[in-house]
Amino acid sequence: MSKIGLIIAREYSTRVRKRAFIVLTVLVPILVVGLMFLAMWLGMEEKKHVKVLISDPRNLCDERIFIGVDEKNPPATFYFYQDYLDSLDFVSRQDMQEFDVLIALSPTVITNKKIRGYYREEPSSDAKDYIRDKLELRLEEYFALDKGISLEEYRQIRQRMDFQLKGLDDNEESEIRDKAQAIGLMFSIFIFIFITVYAAQVMRGVIEEKTSRVVEIIVSSVKPMELMMGKILAVGLVGLTQFLIWVILITILMVGLQTFVFKDILTPENWQGINDQAVAMNQITTGMETAEVRNQWAEVFFEFMNWPLLITMFLFYFIGGYLLYASLFAMIGSAVDSETDTQQLMFPVMLPLMFTYVVSVMIQGNSDGATAVWLSQVPFSSPIIMLQRIAAGTVSIWEVILSLFLLTVTFIITTYLAGKIYRVGILMYGKKSTWKELIKWMRQA
Amino acid sequence: MEMLRIEHIVKQYQGHTALNDISITTKKGEIFGLLGPNGAGKTSLIRIINQITGPDSGKIYLEGREIKRSDIEHIGYLPEERGLYKKMKVREQAMYFARLKGLTKSDAKKKIEYWFEKFDITTWYDKKVEELSKGMAQKIQFIITVLHEPKLLILDEPFSGFDPINADLLRKEILQLKEQGTSIMLSTHNMTSVEEICDSIALIDKAKLVLNGSLKDVKSQFRTHTYAIQFKGMMFGFANALWADFALTNSFQLDDDHAVAHVKLLKGNTLNNLLQQVMPVVEIEAVHEVMPTMNDIFIRAVQGEKGGQHE
Repeated sequence: MSKIGLIIAREYSTRVRKRAFIVLTVLVPILVVGLMFLAMWLGMEEKKHVKVLISDPRNLCDERIFIGVDEKNPPATFYFYQDYLDSLDFVSRQDMQEFDVLIALSPTVITNKKIRGYYREEPSSDAKDYIRDKLELRLEEYFALDKGISLEEYRQIRQRMDFQLKGLDDNEESEIRDKAQAIGLMFSIFIFIFITVYAAQVMRGVIEEKTSRVVEIIVSSVKPMELMMGKILAVGLVGLTQFLIWVILITILMVGLQTFVFKDILTPENWQGINDQAVAMNQITTGMETAEVRNQWAEVFFEFMNWPLLITMFLFYFIGGYLLYASLFAMIGSAVDSETDTQQLMFPVMLPLMFTYVVSVMIQGNSDGATAVWLSQVPFSSPIIMLQRIAAGTVSIWEVILSLFLLTVTFIITTYLAGKIYRVGILMYGKKSTWKELIKWMRQA
Repeated sequence: MEMLRIEHIVKQYQGHTALNDISITTKKGEIFGLLGPNGAGKTSLIRIINQITGPDSGKIYLEGREIKRSDIEHIGYLPEERGLYKKMKVREQAMYFARLKGLTKSDAKKKIEYWFEKFDITTWYDKKVEELSKGMAQKIQFIITVLHEPKLLILDEPFSGFDPINADLLRKEILQLKEQGTSIMLSTHNMTSVEEICDSIALIDKAKLVLNGSLKDVKSQFRTHTYAIQFKGMMFGFANALWADFALTNSFQLDDDHAVAHVKLLKGNTLNNLLQQVMPVVEIEAVHEVMPTMNDIFIRAVQGEKGGQHE
C-alpha cells in the first residue's frame, strides 16, 4: 500500500471506530425517521372522528349533508339542531357534551355568508377541511335552489377568476421551480453543515498530531503534503460513509415501517408535514387554494425533482467544497498550538461560508437572479448555492460545468498553498500565528 | 567507510541563520555525538538529514550517494519531543509506523514481536498509549525508531525522560545496535553519555561547527598537559621541588603521608623532566595524564566562541 494509502487507512479506521461516529451514524436515521413517523402517528391520532352539531334554526340544510359514496371513513359526522345555539350552550348544556364541534348557522348567513363554529379540542386539519367543504357544498345547493338556478350555473357564477400576474420570462413552471428550489435549500444546508463539521474535524486532527508531537515522526517517513492530503481524504471518506449509511438506513427504516406499521404512510396524501409546511410557506388560507398547493408539492416532490441528478451533483459539490475548505482548515490547524488559538484565523475562512449560508436562504424564489447566478460560480459559495439552482432546474449544463471547473481549479490552488503553510506550521511551536505570519511561511516553504 | 557526509549546509529562517556552512562526515558503524547548546542548530540539521526540511544550500550524501527521498526508509529518527497517537493501541501504532517506513505487513509483525519480546512488554500490545507511563511510552517510541532496522539511527536526546535503569538498558541497546553495524548519530546534552559511548563528535554553536573529530582527537586537542602524580612524602617538599617550568594546579592529601598533585607542564617540558625534578624529594606511586572531560570541553568550546566574538 502506498504511504498515502496507509495514512488514509489509519485515519479512516480510527475515525469510523470512534464511539461518537457510530452513535451519530446510527442515531441520526433513527431520529429522522422516528420524528417523521411520530409526526405522522400524531397526525393519525388527531384524525379521530368528530361529531359536528349544526345549529340550523332556519333549516337551511334540511338536515342533510351530502356524503360521497367513496368515503368509507369520513373524519366527521354531522348532526342537526333546529334552534339557536351559541358557544355558551355548547359549553354548559348537558345534552351538548357528546358533540365535538358546534357550527352556528345563523339565518344571516344568506346575506353575509359568515359561519362561526366552535370546538372543544382542535380537530385535525383534515377534519376541519372536511367540515368546511361539506357545509359549503350543502349551502351552495341551498343558494342555487333559492335563486332558481342549477347548481352548475351557481358554481359557474361563483367561480373566481384565475388571475396571475407574471413576469415576461416567467413560465408555467415558475411556481413549481420555487418549490423545487426550497427542496434544494435542504441540500444547501446539508452541505454547509457537512463542510463545517468535517473540515473542522480535519483541523482538530492536525492540531492533535501537532500537540502530541507525533507529527515529527510521521514527516520523517512521509511528505507533509501526503500527510495532509491523506487526512483530508480520509475524513472526507468518513463523511461520505456516514452519508451513505444514513441514506441506506433511512431507506430501510422507511420501507420497513411502511411495510409493517403504516402501510399507506408514503402516499403523498399522507404527507401532512409537507402539506402543513406548504400552507405556512404560502400563507394560503382558503381551502381550495390549499388543496391546489398540496398537489403542487406532491408534484414537485414526486415528479418534478430529478433526484438522481440532484444527488450526483450533491456528491460532486460536497467533495469539491469539502476539499476546498478542508485544506484551509488543515492549514489553520497546522499554524496553532491549541484549538483555542484558532479563533482569529478561522474568521476569514468561516466568513464566506456563513455569508453563503445566509444568502442561500435569501435567494429563495429567485433561483435565476443575479446573486444566485454569480454565487453559483464563485468557488467559495458554489457548493452551497448551485444545488438550489440545479434543484429548481434553472441552470444550464455549461454553467454547472464551469462552476465545477472553477471549484476544482480553486481547490487545487488552495490545497497547494495551504500545503506550503502546513509544512512549516506543523513543526513550528510557540509562535503567535497571524495571517501575516502564515503568508511569511508560505513564501519560506 | 563513510556513512553520512554533510557538505556546506546552510539554512536560514526569516532573517536568522540556523546552520552556517556546516560540513561533517561520519563513519559507518560509529556512534557520532552531535553536541551543542540549546538553539545551536542541531535539530535543524537533523531535520535536513531526515528530509523533513530542505537546506538552502549544501548537499548530503548517504554511503557516498547524494541522499534521496527513498533513503528515509533507511533512517530511524527519534525526535527530542516524543509523541505517539494517544488513543491508538500500541501494536497498531508500531505496525503503522513500521509500514510507513516501508516494511511489509508480515515483516513488520515479525519485527514487532521480536522487539516486544526482547523488552518483555508483550502484555502492552493492546494498551492505548494514554494508558502507559512516560517511561513505557519512551520504550515504545524507541522500538518504533529501530523496527525497520535503519542503517542510520538518529537519536535526539535519547536518554531524557528515562530513569537510570531504563537509561542503562537503552545505552546497552544502542551499543548492541552499533555492534550489529548500525551507524548512530546522537544529539545530547548529557556529556557523560557522550564520553561513554561516542566514537566521534561534532559541536555546533550558533549555527557554526566549532569542533569535529574523534573523541580521542578532540580530547587531546583540549589537553592541558597536566599530570596527576600520587606520591609518598610531604606536599611541602613536592611543591618546593617544582621550579618555574611547572605549575601546581591542584593538590590534595590522601592520608598523613600520601598525596596527589596535579602539575601542568610549562615551556615545552616533558613528563620526564617533571619526574626528574620531584623524584629526589618524594616516592612516586602513580602517574597519569589529567584529560579534560567532555563537559569541560563543551563549556570551553562554547564560551571560547563567545569570547572570540567580543574581541
